[in-house]
Amino acid sequence: MSGGPEPLIQLDGVNKHYDGAQALRDASFSVAKGEVHALVGENGAGKSTLSKIIAGAVQPDAATVRWRGEPVRISSPIAAQRLGIGIVFQELDLFPNLSIAENIVIGNVRMERSPWVNRKELSRFCAAHLEQVGLAASPWTLVRDLPIAHMQLVAIARALSFDARLILMDEPTSSLADDAVDRLFALIRRLRSAGVSVVYVSHKMKEIFEIADRITVLRDGSTIGTRNAADTNIDEIIGMMVGRAIGSESLAPSGPPGEVVLSAAGVTTQKLRGVTFDLHRGEILGVAGLVGAGRSELGAALFGLDPIRGGSVHLNGREFHPRSPADAIRRRFGLLPEDRKLQGLMMQMSVLENTSIAILGRLARWSFLSHSREKGVAMPVLQRMALKSASPEAGVSSLSGGNQQKVLLAKWLLTNPDVLFLDDPTRGIDVGAKRDIYHIIQDLAGQGKGVLFVSSELPELLQCCHRILVLREGRNMGIVDARTATQEQIMKLATAEPVAA
Amino acid sequence: MKRLRKLKSVLGLAGIILIAILVSPVAADGSNIFLQAGNLTDVLRQMSVIGIIAVAMTFVILTAGIDLSVGSILAFATCLTGMFITRSSPGSSHFAQAALAVTVAVGASALVGAANGVVISAFRIQPFIVSLASMIGVRGLAKWLSKNENIDIGFGSDAAASFAGFVNQKVVIVGAFAVLAAIFWIVLDRTVFGRYVRAIGDNEKAGRYSGLPIRSVKIAVYTLSGLLTGIAGVLYAAENHQGNPNAGVAYELDAIAAVVIGGTSLMGGSGSIAGTIVGTLIMGVLTNILRLRNVDSNVEMMVKAVIIVLAVAIQKSEKAE
Repeated sequence: MSGGPEPLIQLDGVNKHYDGAQALRDASFSVAKGEVHALVGENGAGKSTLSKIIAGAVQPDAATVRWRGEPVRISSPIAAQRLGIGIVFQELDLFPNLSIAENIVIGNVRMERSPWVNRKELSRFCAAHLEQVGLAASPWTLVRDLPIAHMQLVAIARALSFDARLILMDEPTSSLADDAVDRLFALIRRLRSAGVSVVYVSHKMKEIFEIADRITVLRDGSTIGTRNAADTNIDEIIGMMVGRAIGSESLAPSGPPGEVVLSAAGVTTQKLRGVTFDLHRGEILGVAGLVGAGRSELGAALFGLDPIRGGSVHLNGREFHPRSPADAIRRRFGLLPEDRKLQGLMMQMSVLENTSIAILGRLARWSFLSHSREKGVAMPVLQRMALKSASPEAGVSSLSGGNQQKVLLAKWLLTNPDVLFLDDPTRGIDVGAKRDIYHIIQDLAGQGKGVLFVSSELPELLQCCHRILVLREGRNMGIVDARTATQEQIMKLATAEPVAA
Repeated sequence: MKRLRKLKSVLGLAGIILIAILVSPVAADGSNIFLQAGNLTDVLRQMSVIGIIAVAMTFVILTAGIDLSVGSILAFATCLTGMFITRSSPGSSHFAQAALAVTVAVGASALVGAANGVVISAFRIQPFIVSLASMIGVRGLAKWLSKNENIDIGFGSDAAASFAGFVNQKVVIVGAFAVLAAIFWIVLDRTVFGRYVRAIGDNEKAGRYSGLPIRSVKIAVYTLSGLLTGIAGVLYAAENHQGNPNAGVAYELDAIAAVVIGGTSLMGGSGSIAGTIVGTLIMGVLTNILRLRNVDSNVEMMVKAVIIVLAVAIQKSEKAE
């Protein structure tokens, strides 16, 4: 490796698993003094887990960590701070109702030696660090009154305030305007020349090649390799990120496409910038893109959760602008949300109650529910899901992730939609359940429904879909034919700058 | 698990009753005073007003809400009852006048509840804040309407007296509680509305993604709370022979305590009317036995505090299992 004589931090044999899923397997990572080192990978490749391990926020199952050559254990965020590791997280972990100064020194072991706050000393201490990051604001401004770019500077100032030698930045530009990005990069370069190392976690290839000295690629929890930015190019890095395709005969039903069932023209919302596509009956249209590209936002717009500001949508040939999910469901549009636990399941209710919740109005007579009628309607669908659950009366919380997802799919099938938007339906579930869900999706298309299938796993989209819509920063980057497209091609659309601006 | 929880609060009730029997004073004829028919029906009568409010509170808490305004609404309803039942209205029958008074009191209380619900769902302000404001405002309204004086409902032969005479019978008061509890038990267990109430409290976001009418359900739940509290207010007025603007202070806390002791979670989504009935009975028996033993009413409050914490601690430990 070309990282100079002795690395600042060196991690080897890092293993970590969550609830059965292996997040990191034998990963390694090393950062030299005074370099900007980009950490890249697809969604779920293990970048966040590795960052959190370095930050002391997550403990690995196994790992050897050396800091300046000495073996250490980063047992907590405080331990990381003592070593000189500072963190600027994606979800800015500042206290919005406290001032800049209080945010900078909170948790700072040196400043909190005395229980009393000396405002004058604090002011002096913070002003120096604010100057360092180029933030011209009073230390007594409340953080919630700052624009997001400035909040980030506060987080960096906090790291500098305890003499951080390594600053970890997770997607630091995800919510920044272009000029703020330029200023951030200038600051990163200043830090580098002052001998501070920066670990830069990002999806954005253009930025990575602009700022990084070296790039390490993670895939499926393993380190694929480290390259000098000067000696590589976007294509090689993307190739390392996606790897080779796994055995993938297409599952998508063949046959001529039906008529257009859903047609979106220039759909624009707060997050979307003119998304256009046609979805046919019997078609499975994949939706690809990195986190934040606007995949879930597309669902929210179509489902009446997020107002459409421009463009038009037609469902079955008629104008479709639902005011609420209830409205969308009535028009026979369904949406399986991304977050099963937060947006999908009623955890204290039974399997049966979760399955029937969206069609109770139709099931009831004079608003009274008959248990046998409810079961009579729900059971056939649950059985078709190959649901290996004990009984419909069982609490839905007792099921595995895959079976919970099947319950939610059953709920949407009962509403008998013409179009179903599936937002990452296979996230965090085991291989067997994934296979079952692929078959259910093929079944739905076979019945002439239009399916929108969002996923972070490209092989899955290439295997299940007819066509794939690629989004990037809310824009439609193109629609590719799933039978001929490659992962590299999609990844490039999802990460690179548009060919013609 | 649900059954187990129900069982535990029933066991708690059985325990309290057993203790009551053991520590009860004995009458001159050697009989156990607690177990005398007259005393047992007194227990039921004394708990009915709180019980009715607690039934509605169960719905509110199931949606992960809270209604602190019920004590004030109760006072408001007693005042309206008193004002309309004592108005001289020659020509109308006693029954017509009583019917009018009850309708006005219950209807106005339901309107206050509906206003709570509309503000909570339209402005998305926390139910705690909205009902706290309402608790203060409606208390003021009741005092202002009654000019800060009790409105006596007499014992003579006028409409007021015959209304109070009829309503203030154990069978009417306990009957009202029994009938309302039964109706809302069925509503919660058997109707679409009941299912929505639990679903929204369990996971409001998922409810939204499932197309549930969240606003209407919330408004309905707070309206129901006002309506049942209004009925409780009418009973209270008859029982005490007066419209009283200072009535019902801290009743919201007694009602919440009964609901929580009955195993309903303040986080919403899980609970039952059966549990609330048991919770109300536990509080009722406890109050009764402490009074039979002439325990200082301040000590009574301290004992209740311990019982509330114990009851919830027991339920927590079950969940952890």
